[in-house]
Amino acid sequence: MADFSLSAEQESLRDLARKFARTEMAPHAAECDRTPRFPEEIYRKAFDLGLMNLNVPVDYGGSGLGVFEACLIVEELAHACGGMTTSVIANCLALEPILLGGTPEQKDRFLKPFCAEYNLASFCLTEPSGGSDAGSLKTRARREGDHYILDGEKCFITNAPHASLYTVFATIDPALKTKGITAFVVPRSAVGLSTGKDEEKMGHRASSTSTVRFEGVSVPVADRLGEEGAGFSMAMRTLDQTRTPIGALATGIAQAALDHAAAYSLKRQSFGKPISEHQAIQIKLANMAQSVHAARLLTWHAAWTIDRGAKGTLESSIAKCFASDAALHVADEAIQTFGGYGYMKEYPVEKLLRDAKLTQIYEGANEIQRTVIARELLRQYA
Amino acid sequence: MEIVVCIKPVPEAETRLRVAPGGATLDAEGVKFVLAGYDESALEQALLLKEALAGSKVHAISFGPAPRTEEVLRAAVALGADLATWVESPSGSAVDPIQVARALAGAIAAIPHDLVLCGKQAGDDEAGLVPSALGELLALPDFGSVVDLRWDPVTARFKFLRSTDAGGERWEAATPCVIGLQQAWNDPRTAKLPNILKSRKAAIAKHPAGPDLPGARSEPQGFELPAPRTGARLIEYKSPQEAAQTLVRILREEAKVFP
Amino acid sequence: MTGPILIVGEVQNGHLSGPTLEAISVARSLGGSPSSLVGFVAGHDSRSTALEFGRFGVSHVWVARDPTLDSAPIAALALYIAAAATKAGAETILVGGTTLGRDLMGRLAIRWNAAVATGVTEVRRDGAALQVRRPIFGGRATETRRLDGAHVALALRPHAFPAPLDAPVDPVIEDLPSVPLPAAWLAPRRTGTETSAEGAGPSLGDASIVVSGGRGVRTAENFQLVEELAAALGAAVGASRAVTDAGWRPSSYQVGQTGRSVSPQLYLAVGISGAIQHLVGMLSSRVIVAINSDASAPIFRVADYGIVGDLFQIVPALTAEVRRVRAL
Ligand SMILES: Cc1cc2nc3c(=O)[nH]c(=O)nc-3n(C[C@H](O)[C@H](O)[C@H](O)COP(=O)(O)OP(=O)(O)OC[C@H]3O[C@@H](n4cnc5c(N)ncnc54)[C@H](O)[C@@H]3O)c2cc1C
Ligand SMILES: Cc1cc2nc3c(=O)[nH]c(=O)nc-3n(C[C@H](O)[C@H](O)[C@H](O)COP(=O)(O)OP(=O)(O)OC[C@H]3O[C@@H](n4cnc5c(N)ncnc54)[C@H](O)[C@@H]3O)c2cc1C
Repeated sequence: MADFSLSAEQESLRDLARKFARTEMAPHAAECDRTPRFPEEIYRKAFDLGLMNLNVPVDYGGSGLGVFEACLIVEELAHACGGMTTSVIANCLALEPILLGGTPEQKDRFLKPFCAEYNLASFCLTEPSGGSDAGSLKTRARREGDHYILDGEKCFITNAPHASLYTVFATIDPALKTKGITAFVVPRSAVGLSTGKDEEKMGHRASSTSTVRFEGVSVPVADRLGEEGAGFSMAMRTLDQTRTPIGALATGIAQAALDHAAAYSLKRQSFGKPISEHQAIQIKLANMAQSVHAARLLTWHAAWTIDRGAKGTLESSIAKCFASDAALHVADEAIQTFGGYGYMKEYPVEKLLRDAKLTQIYEGANEIQRTVIARELLRQYA
Repeated sequence: MEIVVCIKPVPEAETRLRVAPGGATLDAEGVKFVLAGYDESALEQALLLKEALAGSKVHAISFGPAPRTEEVLRAAVALGADLATWVESPSGSAVDPIQVARALAGAIAAIPHDLVLCGKQAGDDEAGLVPSALGELLALPDFGSVVDLRWDPVTARFKFLRSTDAGGERWEAATPCVIGLQQAWNDPRTAKLPNILKSRKAAIAKHPAGPDLPGARSEPQGFELPAPRTGARLIEYKSPQEAAQTLVRILREEAKVFP
Repeated sequence: MTGPILIVGEVQNGHLSGPTLEAISVARSLGGSPSSLVGFVAGHDSRSTALEFGRFGVSHVWVARDPTLDSAPIAALALYIAAAATKAGAETILVGGTTLGRDLMGRLAIRWNAAVATGVTEVRRDGAALQVRRPIFGGRATETRRLDGAHVALALRPHAFPAPLDAPVDPVIEDLPSVPLPAAWLAPRRTGTETSAEGAGPSLGDASIVVSGGRGVRTAENFQLVEELAAALGAAVGASRAVTDAGWRPSSYQVGQTGRSVSPQLYLAVGISGAIQHLVGMLSSRVIVAINSDASAPIFRVADYGIVGDLFQIVPALTAEVRRVRAL
């Protein structure tokens, strides 16, 4: 049976996120975007409230939420600032491979101390030579006794300059293609690990993104996640879990754009009446509302599917792809509703467009999502 | 110290008020209820006292209908209340604040209470009657509009400032007593996510308000919303002096708010 | 209910307070002939204030001279008021003033078995009952309530009623016999009294004009601009939480959901955006004026008059203009 109502528990989680977004994040969003600034104090507060390691089970010090609850929280946070949200949820992405592939001993050793305090982790998959084609990654892991030696470079890594822990995907032999990819946990303190300068980005400027270099970094065999060659599927399964919250993030940005546009349309006058009374603007708002609503429902449905134990590859790809396209479109229409003011940095909507753009690119570019959707779809007809 | 905090679910501040069919009350359909503002400060004060005094307990207590009353009690538990008691409202309908006080007093009399803390008034009906009525019903001294409440362990007394229309009065009082808090300076904490999850499973004690409550002595007959404000009449001016002159003239001659 | 009406006298600076006088005019409008208007004052030297009642047509005044009342909790006062009401055979008790009224009403509801209401802005007879109106939800709605029974006690909202005209009578002044007070009530001690904000100007609670400043004022020093305008107007000074949070002024200045509720004749908001938490503390003001540089600030939606402009230019000009007009 379909039931779209939230439980009292879900509502109270959403209320918490909404309150945090409104009181702690929103007031600093414009400033962190302009400067740009990585507001570590806000991320610390998010951690203190339990808004950071959402997917980590309570036993390991996380919040132990399902994907659905995570989506409720992420949408609220993103309503205030997409960039801050990316940084707040980056731990979920980075820790998921440990949850999926770690032994109980590894989970104890890595997650417990990590989650007990404010710590950031980074997920290191993308490389300068290619992100979409993750199977061809070049970072090497060479076995030497009870250690691996890692060499290579990762790029566009969220929170990398501030992280204390990295989950890294490297190949033991490029000829093995995806079958050679292996996952490791590497601490910041590892000799030979370095991060590059903060990238100057179009949006999500409250988040920080940089390269991570590995130069002869020695990693104990005990810090390998799963077997040799198990890394690729671990990375894909990780993205299956985290893709849907990106849909929620995009929905939050879209909802913010709609909220700004609708409120502005009631105040702004042209030709002797509020622009909200011009049908062209009403149609715009109606279309925006449809997009936001559909994005949210697709996201909820994908999350619900995954929380019931299904893989949800199709559903989460549809949700992420649709919601991110919707966010871009709705942010664009919000700017149009504001007219010239929308194009000015003093008004909040141009930031939404810049922030929305990323959701089409990261955690699997939308072209890749469409490839996946088509593949899953055609399989049903073949 | 056994601290009882009376909390009330009220519509959240951003609620768009609508009149219920019948015209006498607020239409609660779709309204989100939250802990009343001053009650939130009172709970925060209770938690601060508990943290300062080892062995203390905070007992949140609320009167009202389901589900909103249970929700504010769970919110209180998530914030750090040790115990929660729901004084069940015999009907869901609006009742006289004195009846509420009687129902609460019945429940408080049955539990240990060195200090009974309330918000000085609730943001919905703004009656502010519960603290003084509780004082009378529980035969305790009560103090309303209290700010800056502190416990002095040396004298074993509370020290506080009671804000009055004329200024303030400094007081010292021993336990047990009733205090209605009006304070803006304590910044109520936010419940942490794990505590919110735990609060869902917390036991909420139920206390029947009892059929023997005397009938209501006052009854709401009308609930009116002011005519929508049309927005300010903006004063046009070429210089600040002109703006000032126009405003002063309007205030004296049209609005007649000063001579 | 047409029996005697007891008016509780609150004393400020040795005189009956403004809200008490407003309570007298309500009592008179309820059809109270001088013979049915009864005053009450407490304190060891209350004779002069008792006489003030007579100036406005109150013919009988009960005085509680018990010196412990000077520093006892309100509970003790409530006992004496109930005793006076019984002596006078009163059916109605009226209190002006919000803080005192709120604290008395809960007590009187139980001890004197009264139907009670606080923050009342209109009163009329409804057959044998009284019908009152009172702003609720921070002035965003108004409730009409019917109070039944042999006893009714009302706390009136300051400034909601006019001051009474003179109607001098020579009042009978009688001392109330002392009422035994439970020892527990006398244990708490009042250790001091503070007048509000540097003793200058009226307090927020009873000022008929309030000037409030917000974050737009930018610094603690600049807040003087707001205070100078208030001084020129004879107004009390308020602030938004942005100001009290920043520590520019103490929290006693805060108007709003977690500060004070005010309902003056005139509320001037300077550099305040008009967040709902602020609005609920001042919406029931009679006239609202906003000065803000942002024409889209929500405060302009609730204000009666607005000046869109830089407060650093407008406020000094306004202060000068008020001084000029006042000096005429
Ligand atoms: C701000 C930011 C933060 C990021 N954070 C992280 C992080 O924390 N960890 C991490 O590992 N990565 C991160 N990324 C990397 C991100 O996931 C990649 O940028 C993304 O996967 C695309 O890879 P690429 O940039 O190399 O583009 P490419 O793979 O070079 O793709 C270029 C274009 O070609 C299209 N394309 C590629 N292959 C196909 C195909 N087969 N069919 C059709 N179209 C195709 C793509 O869709 C895209 O439009 C982040 C990126 C950004 C911008
Ligand atoms: C639980 C809770 C309780 C709260 N309780 C209260 C409360 O009791 N009282 C309260 O006030 N707030 C309260 N708040 C806070 C409230 O939400 C607002 O944050 C606060 O009222 C904002 O204060 P402000 O209007 O001074 O500041 P802002 O919102 O920052 O507004 C400043 C205004 O000044 C204007 N301005 C700036 N420069 C100039 C200039 N040169 N000339 C003219 N205008 C200028 C700006 O245009 C702007 O409109 C509460 C919040 C919460 C969450």
